[in-house]
Amino acid sequence: MDIKAIEKILEADGIVFLTYGGFITQSLIAGMTDALERESEKKDINQRLANNIFVIFIELSQNMMNYSKSRESAGEAFDPKGLIVVGKGESDSYYILSQNILDRSDRDKIQPKLEEIQRLDNEALKLRYRELRKSGRDSHGKGAGIGFYEIAKRCDRIQYEFIPIGDDKYYFQFKAIVK
Amino acid sequence: MIRGAVMEKLHLEATQYTPEISLDPNGVIAFTGKSYPENTFDFYQPVMEWLDQYFGNELPERTVVNMEIIYFNSSSSKLFFDMFDMMEEAGSEHALEVNWIYDPENESAREAGEDFIEDFDKLTINLIEKG
Repeated sequence: MDIKAIEKILEADGIVFLTYGGFITQSLIAGMTDALERESEKKDINQRLANNIFVIFIELSQNMMNYSKSRESAGEAFDPKGLIVVGKGESDSYYILSQNILDRSDRDKIQPKLEEIQRLDNEALKLRYRELRKSGRDSHGKGAGIGFYEIAKRCDRIQYEFIPIGDDKYYFQFKAIVK
Repeated sequence: MIRGAVMEKLHLEATQYTPEISLDPNGVIAFTGKSYPENTFDFYQPVMEWLDQYFGNELPERTVVNMEIIYFNSSSSKLFFDMFDMMEEAGSEHALEVNWIYDPENESAREAGEDFIEDFDKLTINLIEKG
C-alpha cells in the first residue's frame, strides 16, 4: 500500500481532522497538537477522549521525528517522510494513523512489543506499563521505551502492519482507535 | 554539585509543549501545563539537578509539590516517575507532600495520579480535583 492509496481510503473514510505527510519537527508537532485542541473544542469532544487523542498523536509523531533524527545523525540515506492522520471513525470513535519507513532491524525491535501489547488485556497492560516505567530501561534514549504501551493504554485497540518494500525496508503502518 | 550552597529560585515559563516550572527553596515546587518536550531528559535536566541540590541542602520544615499536568508524553511519565522516586527517598526524613491536581473532566490525568500513588507507597500523593 502506498501513500496515494492511503489518501484514497481516507477520502472514503469519514472526517479527517488532520493529515500531514513530510518531515516532522517538534514545532510542527506542537502546532498540530494545538490545531487538534481547537478541533476537539469545536466538536465538543469530552476531555478524556481529547487528551487520549493528543497523547497518541504526540507519541506517534515524536516517534517518527526521533527516528528520522537518529537516522540523519547516523549519516544514512533515509527518506524521512512520515504520514500522520487523525480522523473520525465509525460511531463516535476516532483514529490516529501513522506510516513511516523502517529498516528490518527496527521492525525487529518494535514488533515484539506490539505483539505483547496485543496479547495483554487492559489490566495486564497497565501493570506492564508501570513495570517498564519503573525498570528505567532505555531511559537514556530519546524516549522512555514505553511509548507504544502508553498508546495502547489510551485506546480501544491498535492495528499495525509491516509491509516489505524491498531492500530490507518496510512501511510501518499503525492505527490506534479511541472511543 | 556544591553542597550547602545558597539555593536560588528556578522559574521556567510555560511553552506550547513544556509546563511552567517553579522551584522555590522555601519549599514550594510547582509544575503547571503540558509536557511533551522534544528531548524530555535534556529539558528536565536542570530541574533534576536543582532538586538533587535542594534535597542535599538543609531543608525547610516542609516541601509542597503541586503537579498540575494536563497531559504528557510517555518520556515525561518516566521523568516524573524518576522525580517522585527522588522525592520519596528525600521524604523519608522530611515532610514532603505531592498534590496531583486535575480537572474533574480529565479522567486520564486522575488515573495517572492514581498510578503514581500505587507505585510510591512511602510518598504522600494527594489527588486534588479542581473546584
